[in-house]
Amino acid sequence: MLKEFLKKYFRRSLWVYHCNSGGCNGCDIEVVNVLTPYYDVERFGIKLVGSPRHADVMLCQGPAGRATASALKRAYEAVPEPKLVFAVGSCASGGGIWHDTYSIIGPIEKVIPVHFYIPGCPPRPEAIIYGVALALGLVEKKAVPMEYHPVKLPIVRYHPEDIHFQNGWPVYDRLEKI
Amino acid sequence: MYLLSKIRETILCLKAGRVTLPYPVNPRPVPERFRGRPLFHPDKCIGCAGCANNCPAREILIADQCQEMRVVMYLGRRCTYCGRCADLCPEKAITMSHEYENATPKIADIRQDLEIWMGTCQRCGRCFKNAGPLDQLMMKGYRFDDLSAELWVYRSRAYLDKEPVVKDIDIELG
Amino acid sequence: MKGFVAAFFYSVLNLVLVLLVAPLFDGITRKVTAVVQSRKGPPITQSYIDLMKLLIKEDIEVGDSPVMQRFSALLSLAAILSVALLIPMGASAPLAGYADSILLIYLLTLAGTSVLLAGLAAGSPYSLIGMSREMMAMMTLEPLIAIAIIMAATHAASLRLDAVFGGAGYPGTHTPWSGILILGVIAFALQAFVGRMPFDVTEAETEIMEGPLMEYSGPKLALFKYARMAKMFVYTALFIALFVPRISTGFYLTDLLVFLAEQAVLMLVVTLIAATHARYRIDQVVRYYIILFILALLALLLAVLGS
Repeated sequence: MLKEFLKKYFRRSLWVYHCNSGGCNGCDIEVVNVLTPYYDVERFGIKLVGSPRHADVMLCQGPAGRATASALKRAYEAVPEPKLVFAVGSCASGGGIWHDTYSIIGPIEKVIPVHFYIPGCPPRPEAIIYGVALALGLVEKKAVPMEYHPVKLPIVRYHPEDIHFQNGWPVYDRLEKI
Repeated sequence: MYLLSKIRETILCLKAGRVTLPYPVNPRPVPERFRGRPLFHPDKCIGCAGCANNCPAREILIADQCQEMRVVMYLGRRCTYCGRCADLCPEKAITMSHEYENATPKIADIRQDLEIWMGTCQRCGRCFKNAGPLDQLMMKGYRFDDLSAELWVYRSRAYLDKEPVVKDIDIELG
Repeated sequence: MKGFVAAFFYSVLNLVLVLLVAPLFDGITRKVTAVVQSRKGPPITQSYIDLMKLLIKEDIEVGDSPVMQRFSALLSLAAILSVALLIPMGASAPLAGYADSILLIYLLTLAGTSVLLAGLAAGSPYSLIGMSREMMAMMTLEPLIAIAIIMAATHAASLRLDAVFGGAGYPGTHTPWSGILILGVIAFALQAFVGRMPFDVTEAETEIMEGPLMEYSGPKLALFKYARMAKMFVYTALFIALFVPRISTGFYLTDLLVFLAEQAVLMLVVTLIAATHARYRIDQVVRYYIILFILALLALLLAVLGS
């Protein structure tokens, strides 16, 4: 219907509501930097609005504190569907260095569901634009988890009594996994 | 007079042209000593846990899987890119790379898990003295963290409990 | 019958013109603001995309009175479009035979009160503050356009729309002091009528979180934003209709293009002033309007005395 046709215009005009639930304002300043002429993010159609009811994207920074968690939840519920939540900065992604202090519950994903994370302390304006471009589908994701396993357990052990030699090469009769 | 100054202001603004950087299309160079994401080099790591002891966000977790295997887990969520781990590492296994484009829909994408194959003493297998009570309190050396709950364990123990050591705070929300 | 058909046809044309071109003008405004601020702004069609995106958002209805919210959203766009039917855009005013300038003044005031209704219907403290500021500003601002229309009617000695428009602000024979005075007053107040930068104390401000429009989301917000864009179009059209003598070449299309070009020039001036000024406080705004009001009354007095 009309809605399906209009849905593809959603990504070309995102209105952002910036919400700070207890951060140090470092990421605030970087977000406002993104709106300056050098890193101009308005060319993607993104506008900063003052009210959560006008917004599509909630840009959260700062961890969820004990006093601000209910306010954060109410602001999230005030944003009309369809909505996205971005967690900007290390505090919003995982609690930051304040994760075990007396007034912080944790990262904001304990209170509201998060769709995109932009780690950094504070993230560079380019990193924020990269996160936004990732959400819009303009670039590809670069972060991949790294795992290093030198040896896979369980290790194969060899019993000396099961070795016999054939043509000068050792042959193992029984391979047991421990 | 006022009008003239406003017209002059407009012309001045126009002289700067368009200063917008075409960022997502063209990459942006970073300064020399920029601290981006830390990269762990598994071949150089000796498993000393110096980085884990000194991370201010407590983001690097260390545990022993068995007598020969030690696991170093860097969960990147809370990392503030301070560079302390890179400064401390005696083998220079951690480098602060220039990567800042770390945005992702799943925060688990920034993890780096290393399994380090530790050398054992030929005579006794593991030549460490048992941690006395003072050492246990100061968490030096050899410790166990709760990997399933991804928490630091504040006191060294030789075994893991079933329930996490530090509980979450329950808050009524609204 | 022929008059009725022509009136219907031209009124549909006027409506289509306002609805299609108003977001384009808004896009040009944003682009020019961006160029003055040395950056690459949004594309010119961005306002169309904004409106389309707002239509698919969920409509959250909270506040004191949802019925009044719906009514004020519809009223804002409807009032502006009714004004558009009474203004000549290229041809003569479509409903000129069915209305006069008193109706025009009433419809203009109605369009202004829809924002007040919006703020009252939402009922949150920010909305009420925004609404009270808008009320203060409106009380001293709306009389200015009313005085201009009445003065043109005095000079033309009739209240019919055909007589009032077409540059009737200036009487024929001698130096039109009153005409020049009222032209100056309305030129200085045009920025305020369209709600742009030095005077946008009520809407689109981060101090009180967008004021009366704070609680609206989705389609209702689309109506309010559309009404704001249409207001820019309609007020510049009104300014041109009152003060610029009409050039008619006989072809509708060339007349229309000349009209749009005049509007574009006016809009450019409004945008440049908006981009280089900071916002006035509400008391500075009211003081500014009161000075203009006194000057407008002076112009009316001069007009009545025959100059």
